[in-house]
Amino acid sequence: MGLPTAPISTQRFLEVAKTITFKKGMPRQRMTYVPHPVSGRPPEVVRKYLEGNDPVSGKPILEELLAALTRPLDDEEKKTGFVTRPPRPRLIGPHTPANLERMMVENGWTDGLPVVLPTEARVAAMLKGTRRAPGEIVGLMRPSPPHEGWEYTVEMVAANAVMAGARPEHLPVILALASTGVTSLFSSTTSFARMVLVSGPIAREIKMNSGIGALGPFNEANAVIGRAWTLMSKNLGGSIAGETYMGSQGNNLNYNNVCFAENEAALPAGWKPFHVQKGFKPEESVVSTFTGWSLINHAGAAARNKEEFKRVIAGLSASGMGMGVGQAVILLDPIVARDLGESFDTKEKFGAWLIQSLAAPGRVPGMGAAMEIIVVGGEANPCLTIGDFSYISSARVDPWR
Amino acid sequence: MTRRFGRAAPGWLLIAIMLQAPSAFPQEQKISIVNPRGELPAIRLVPMAPRLDTLEGKTVYLIAVSFAVPLMPELQKLLSERYPRTTWVLKEKAGSYFDDDPKLWAEAKEKSNAVIMGVGH
Repeated sequence: MGLPTAPISTQRFLEVAKTITFKKGMPRQRMTYVPHPVSGRPPEVVRKYLEGNDPVSGKPILEELLAALTRPLDDEEKKTGFVTRPPRPRLIGPHTPANLERMMVENGWTDGLPVVLPTEARVAAMLKGTRRAPGEIVGLMRPSPPHEGWEYTVEMVAANAVMAGARPEHLPVILALASTGVTSLFSSTTSFARMVLVSGPIAREIKMNSGIGALGPFNEANAVIGRAWTLMSKNLGGSIAGETYMGSQGNNLNYNNVCFAENEAALPAGWKPFHVQKGFKPEESVVSTFTGWSLINHAGAAARNKEEFKRVIAGLSASGMGMGVGQAVILLDPIVARDLGESFDTKEKFGAWLIQSLAAPGRVPGMGAAMEIIVVGGEANPCLTIGDFSYISSARVDPWR
Repeated sequence: MTRRFGRAAPGWLLIAIMLQAPSAFPQEQKISIVNPRGELPAIRLVPMAPRLDTLEGKTVYLIAVSFAVPLMPELQKLLSERYPRTTWVLKEKAGSYFDDDPKLWAEAKEKSNAVIMGVGH
């Protein structure tokens, strides 16, 4: 704007403010802080904050704000040019393996679980999973729009894939995921989760699980691909708790990001695979991402008739999940999908019926604006899981083979 | 052993062997790893806008961003009481933290002399 500006924020965002102002090129930004939080506080409490002192600087808040707008700039504040970032070495070491493992944990480069050290030999072996050059730029990722984006190459992605315990055959999916630039650790104080779905032939080729236990810890490919996304989000996307990640409670789903494959073989006649619904060809391999907060399992036999099904969904969504944001992903066990397939010959018709049904009087807020239907499960129980997730984007896997 | 434990024997033996096996690297050996971190962009320094000599007779926009909404109305009241020779105008930025609001920035540039922007919870 070219106008003198005095930002004011709450004390809890001190580190975030320092990080952002530094990375945006205004390290001397004249910040003022009030006690935290202000959200939900009555006006008389907020007024008392403002009449008092900045909890960070100790100065009277009102005076500090006015001085921010009127005190002449010093030489540092008028500076132009560039800030030199530390050079990025291609290799780290040599150190003992124990020291490297400890360094990675202490620097926040892992998810807290042991990682496979990405030695040159292991990364070279991983790179056999793609014909793309190690130095090729894959993408750029940031924790959320205000933050800076970090760029990364095929080799950097491969290093994170090694850390996650992946094999070369998993790398094309991980590269495709990296190419979306979507972080799995989106920085919001509400603690977002992500979901990743793999569709098409590659799911079978790398033996992903779309059947019994598909959402659980029972399959290598499901586990390492989801985990690699979290590691990439930290190491390639700059997610740092307290600085660029502010999820107040965090989200346990971030460990694996609900990574699974759709049970395409179990789709009722006329029900298209998810990636085909999004415009891809059936023979293409695609990775898709979703954003939300939580999953609720119906934990029991789902209804067979439409009216009962509507009540089940309404009941689940009334639980308050997702803060009523008007989005949902419904994961149907194949038994339920088959039953519904008798009444609805496409996923779209089922989804439209559900949205219309829930839009009727007594509608539960938050349901209906965007609904994705995915079939997954092993037919052990006619159950369903509903998540307050919405679709973000998809990327083709085949170009990364 | 095979007759007694049947198909469990090979797996049981494998675990026993693994417990005895050396780790992938002797712990005293030093190794290097490929850096898993991404490339940080250059930071271009942005000079701050010149400050005002005085706020008397000036217009200051108080812009509330998302959750800072409860803070800014109280700030406007207090500043208006304490500094009545300045005009304090309350505005709310459109959308969430992540959304740009070029219309508001253009208005602020045209109609104000300075901005106080509230961000946060």
